[in-house]
Amino acid sequence: MSRAAAPLQWLTMGLLAVGLLGLSPALSLSLLAFGLAVLTALKLREARRIEERRVVALLQLVCAGLLAALRPELGPSLLQGLAILMALAGLLALELGAGPDWKALLRRSLQVLLAALPIALVLFLLLPRLTPFSNLGTGHGMGAVTGLSDSMEPGSIAKLSVSREAAARVAFPLGGGPPPLEQRYWRVLVHERFDGRSWRSAEPPFARPAAGQPTPAPPPPAPGEGIQLWLTEPSGLSTVPWSGAGRPLSADLNLQRSGELLNRAPGSQRRVYALTRTAEPGDWRSVPPGPSDLLLPRGENPKLEALAGEWRRLGSERERLNAAGSWFRAQPFRYSLEPGALPRQAPLDHFLFETRLGFCGHYASAFTTLMRAAGVPARVVSGYRGGQWVQPVGGTGYIDLRQADAHAWSEVWLQGEGWRRVDPTAWADGDPLASATAGAGSLAGAGGPWDWLQQQWWGLDIAWARWWLGYDSEQQQALVARLLGKQRHLLGLVVLLAVAISLAASLGGLGWLGRRRSGDPLRLELERTLRAFARQGMAPQAGETLAGFAQRLTRRWPELAGPLGDFVEQYQGQRFASTPSRSGRREAQRLGRVLRRSLNTGIQSKEAVQRVDR
Amino acid sequence: MDFGRPQQGERVRLQMRSLYILPTRFGWLWLAGTVLMQVVGIQMQSNGTLLLSFLMLSLFLLALHLTHFNLQGVELGCGAPAPGFAGDPVPYPIQVRCPGRSEGVRLRLGGEQAGAPLSLPPGDHELAVAWTPPGRGWQRPGLLRVQTTAPLGLFCCWSRWYPAAAQLIYPARRAGPVRLLAVATAPVAGAPSVASRHDGSEDWRDLAPHRPQDSPSRLAWKLLAQGRGEYAKRFLDRPEAPPLLAPEPGLPLEQALEHLSERIWSYHGRGLSYGLVLPGQTIAAGRGVLHRDQCLAALATCR
Repeated sequence: MSRAAAPLQWLTMGLLAVGLLGLSPALSLSLLAFGLAVLTALKLREARRIEERRVVALLQLVCAGLLAALRPELGPSLLQGLAILMALAGLLALELGAGPDWKALLRRSLQVLLAALPIALVLFLLLPRLTPFSNLGTGHGMGAVTGLSDSMEPGSIAKLSVSREAAARVAFPLGGGPPPLEQRYWRVLVHERFDGRSWRSAEPPFARPAAGQPTPAPPPPAPGEGIQLWLTEPSGLSTVPWSGAGRPLSADLNLQRSGELLNRAPGSQRRVYALTRTAEPGDWRSVPPGPSDLLLPRGENPKLEALAGEWRRLGSERERLNAAGSWFRAQPFRYSLEPGALPRQAPLDHFLFETRLGFCGHYASAFTTLMRAAGVPARVVSGYRGGQWVQPVGGTGYIDLRQADAHAWSEVWLQGEGWRRVDPTAWADGDPLASATAGAGSLAGAGGPWDWLQQQWWGLDIAWARWWLGYDSEQQQALVARLLGKQRHLLGLVVLLAVAISLAASLGGLGWLGRRRSGDPLRLELERTLRAFARQGMAPQAGETLAGFAQRLTRRWPELAGPLGDFVEQYQGQRFASTPSRSGRREAQRLGRVLRRSLNTGIQSKEAVQRVDR
Repeated sequence: MDFGRPQQGERVRLQMRSLYILPTRFGWLWLAGTVLMQVVGIQMQSNGTLLLSFLMLSLFLLALHLTHFNLQGVELGCGAPAPGFAGDPVPYPIQVRCPGRSEGVRLRLGGEQAGAPLSLPPGDHELAVAWTPPGRGWQRPGLLRVQTTAPLGLFCCWSRWYPAAAQLIYPARRAGPVRLLAVATAPVAGAPSVASRHDGSEDWRDLAPHRPQDSPSRLAWKLLAQGRGEYAKRFLDRPEAPPLLAPEPGLPLEQALEHLSERIWSYHGRGLSYGLVLPGQTIAAGRGVLHRDQCLAALATCR
């Protein structure tokens, strides 16, 4: 048992502990991982015999596997990979000799890991995935974190603080570029129910498939279709942002009739999902409004109702909408994050006719109420707006959404047109999006080196999400279909063959590494040269000096006298030099090669002469 | 792991047919861990866990071969074993020729404890494996077990071989009465020879703490006068001729031989001369390592 084993195993425990820090304690699996890590540490503390220490290494691997299931992101995955490497090194150190030769140990661990990796990758890529046995443990809505919430009550917020925390990232890996800035509305929640003060969203009916019955996987994107790949930070919501146009690409996603996108993965985790980019005919936009989209507590805001009553006399819904738009633009509304709280009595009247100061929630709430009062079905939608387009070095570009990009807008139902987005905030003076559109491009590239680093890291993160987290059952089947075409029934044979070939290659590689001689390069060069002569039957005798042996060789092959003398002189000069130089060693190696080549050509030409003689 | 057909012969080359390999208990545990990781990976749809599970499986497959390669092609042979005493651990030389690097090799003879794992570079090695012979005579050490679990401890690869070379084992050394026979020949000139057990009065030998029963004439008065304590002078009788050692009559032969073995060892340690008389064999008095080994070998092979 090497003395390096104990420090390595403790180091692994430390890495695992760091990995455990970010776990949410709500999931039962994370409690299991935590308990297992504690037990492993206790076992490591008391373990004396080699067998116990081996079990510790195995427990550490299992811990790392549980962590990998809980934290699949790029950063934690790197940490887990390191922990797995260290656990393996600890296991190898148990069998090695006593000396703590760190370099040799690390080299050996890397060798073994690299040798095992091809087989693992073959199995990972080619073996068909099983569907989960049940839908245990994938609940949703585990405590809100930040950002959006399913109820919106702008009147009670006196000051909205701007949080620069990351909310989501969306990439368009199949090209197509980002949508223009004024089109970047990413919807998350639809608020239909209004009680005079707060907007709530209807509880989404969660279509959960029965256990053991997998939902059929949606068809892959057509060749021409673009993809929006989303990566959202933990939000506590079961609905996730999307562009409003597109078709979900995984069975985990469920598109609601209201235009909300539900994700079955727990909201306390980071979620990765993909949709197509193209709008579908007959999607949520054309779902007619229900009676709740006109409901409104009558009499709460009398001035508002009086104003909307005037518009009610206008003929079509479009005219009422236009009237509201021109009214808003005519009033001195200003955008502010610190509008002060609204009174409990007639809050929207106060906002519309007195303060005229507010942020997106105020505008969306007041406009939607006005529309409802005017008899136009309307609702509030919250989500994100804008976002910064980031192009990382050598990667796919993405739109970076922060919590500060959270936004609320309205949707109104226009007969014959369907639901239409109206952003009343855009009519206010000082709207951040309007100023961003005016100075487009000035936002990108702003920020210090730390921001730049973070953007690069997120670019990597997007690539990781796309290539690693996105490799699921469908991708696997697509790969197999690409490899085998119609010969799918041969998959078992192909997997076995590939495993056998990679096993043979790994063992061959390890064997080659083991046979490779190590040591003084000068000495190795001499041995190589001596072996070449030994193949011709000339080996140095006991006690013979190199110079003496060279004389003997010259007698047999007089034509080798030149290169032999050069090599011997250079070798001895280098060997007995007070300060051997790197260039001198290189020269000796070159002369050795020259000598061996002239030996081989000399022998060949001699054989040729003999053949001619015959 | 310890079963399988043992190999016979002077030298043995470990091949496919003479090597056995099975997963250790840890190996089975490892497989169980692999299955657990697979289940967690499938249930949580986690690529990292699935890859770890496949990695553990492929390490298992790889370890099967790496462990086997540790012993594959290794040649075992016996050296010339040096004699030793029964009842004590005795080194038995095993020659090992490794074609490649052999890691974690443990050798075990008979019912002994396995030695520490050895990492053997390619080439010839002579290893001493300890065993405790039960009795005297030409003894074979019994079954040699070669095993390794390196590099990961997942598999145990082993082989069994009966080394052919017999080792000469002297009787165990046990103090006890020995019959001393007088000898006719005079002692070798100038050589100290064995004194009788009883102290005499002729030659001064050494000093010993004074006992009350010692005669006052033996008291070392000079030392007493110098204040260095009471000492009695000890004297020996005139040196006798070197004795011939023989088995004590009345004792079982084996026990008598063990006493003789101890006596020869201690006489040799004190540099004294002695001879040996055994049933059917007599060795004249003498001294030195060769003489000692000759006497001990006679004891070992005595019938």
